Amino acid sequence: MTAAWRRLGVSLLVCAAAASPAAAQSRIEFGAGVIWTGGFDAGGADALEPRNPTAGSAPLTLFGTSPRLAPARGVMGSAAFYLSKNLAIEGTAEYARPVLRTSIGADFEGATGTSVESRLRAFMAGGSVLYHFGAARLSPFVLAGAGWMRQLDEENVLLVTGREVHAGGGIRYRIDRHFAVRGDVSATAREKSIAFEEKRRILPRVAARLAYRW
Amino acid sequence: MKRAIVFMAAAAALMSSASLHAYLKLGAQAGSKIVPLHWPAFPVRYFVTNRDVAGVSAPQLEQAVSRAFASWAGVGEVPIASEFVGFTGAAPLTGDGMTVIGFQDHPEMDRVLASTSFTVDTVTGEVVESDVFLNSTFSWSVADGGESGRQDVESIALHELGHLLGLGHSALGETELAGGGRRVIGAASVMFPIAFSAGQLNRVPRPDDVAGISDLYAGASFRSSTGSVTGKVTRNGGGVLGAHVVAFNPASGRLVGGFTLSNDGTFTISGLEPGLQIVRAEPLDDADVSSFLDPAGVDVDFKPAIYGRFVAVPRGGTSVSIEVKVTSK
Repeated sequence: MTAAWRRLGVSLLVCAAAASPAAAQSRIEFGAGVIWTGGFDAGGADALEPRNPTAGSAPLTLFGTSPRLAPARGVMGSAAFYLSKNLAIEGTAEYARPVLRTSIGADFEGATGTSVESRLRAFMAGGSVLYHFGAARLSPFVLAGAGWMRQLDEENVLLVTGREVHAGGGIRYRIDRHFAVRGDVSATAREKSIAFEEKRRILPRVAARLAYRW
Repeated sequence: MKRAIVFMAAAAALMSSASLHAYLKLGAQAGSKIVPLHWPAFPVRYFVTNRDVAGVSAPQLEQAVSRAFASWAGVGEVPIASEFVGFTGAAPLTGDGMTVIGFQDHPEMDRVLASTSFTVDTVTGEVVESDVFLNSTFSWSVADGGESGRQDVESIALHELGHLLGLGHSALGETELAGGGRRVIGAASVMFPIAFSAGQLNRVPRPDDVAGISDLYAGASFRSSTGSVTGKVTRNGGGVLGAHVVAFNPASGRLVGGFTLSNDGTFTISGLEPGLQIVRAEPLDDADVSSFLDPAGVDVDFKPAIYGRFVAVPRGGTSVSIEVKVTSK
């Protein structure tokens, strides 16, 4: 092989590598980041006593409550497998400490203490399918999936488990050949939670993570 | 077998009563111990006095008493049953081995609507006999919707039969001073010691009553499906005796009360639904302290307070022990 042919061969190799960097990458990507999940009205009743009819008709309020699960920040980790350039499946695990809190109002005898709370432990494990629109450095994507959640009160006495489903989208920004940052916004629908009224709730969820891909 | 009349509970008006020795339950001395006063077997076989009063005949009284017994028997998993034996000329409160319910004149008891007494086996704490009198000094009614100016027989009988079955007074009620006495504004228990105004009905056991009667008579399945809150009420680090402690479940709206019964301020409230509860402590200031407890040492000089954490009640178990700190008035 002449020197000219060797130079051409090296040039082609470099060009090929530059033209399709993904082809040399692993299909597996790991990520870690933070999440924020919205709060909700946790239901619940006021403490009422039947009223002596001669003293009025409405029940007597011993004290009022207004329970809410506060929005919560947490941490998360993920592992994704790229089925193709655009399509990936992903597993995630999340942990957060949301606070269930109620203010106490209208106490009939002016009791001291204006709020009652419990800091919960919330775990979630789930899976999503992601579709990326293009492979540019900045690429949008959509995702949808389902998960299993587990919540404990602060004394680890009460346990609630349930399913969730989610859907949303986001933006992925490739920093270099291995690293990317990603942000996504989704709606998560949950069947159960430690709360005072059982019903399906749809909550906003925001996540940001740093991803590494071989 | 040693028997003695050991207890007379007042109901529906102010009257001194013997000590409550456990949450909601009447206590009886059995040997060297205090045990919950209880019936060893059902049905409770009872007689009704064959005396009419204005507005209420003896058969009408019997029917009202029967409905009140049925209300207690219908509160879930309790094996309570009763059997009307017949009418009798015997008076209540006689200690004759017969359980008698009926009207009696007690004009000297101008604030007592009715009262229940017991003959108790002092070895076992079991009830041998219990008698209920309704004070015929007052005006009575059995009208379905109540009758203005007349006390409802079924409502008052429900309260007295709660005593007959072993319940003490509940403090789940609010009152105001009126006419030299106390008027009930609201009450979340038929076992509150002061009745609703004449003409008003209170014929349905509330969650507090259900928890109490179930704690006395329900079986293992009730205990395994409910839980307890335990802890103490303190002021400046010391225990508070005689505080009324209420557990409230915001999910169901159910209120169940109990008392601190020792100098270290400890309490336990049983028969609660599993879940998160709000706990509130208050002094016994909505009726005479003696309606609930032996007044000696009972502390009423503190402000009501709400515990700052939700208390998790496990199914079939007891919460972590909490400390409700109160401050002086």
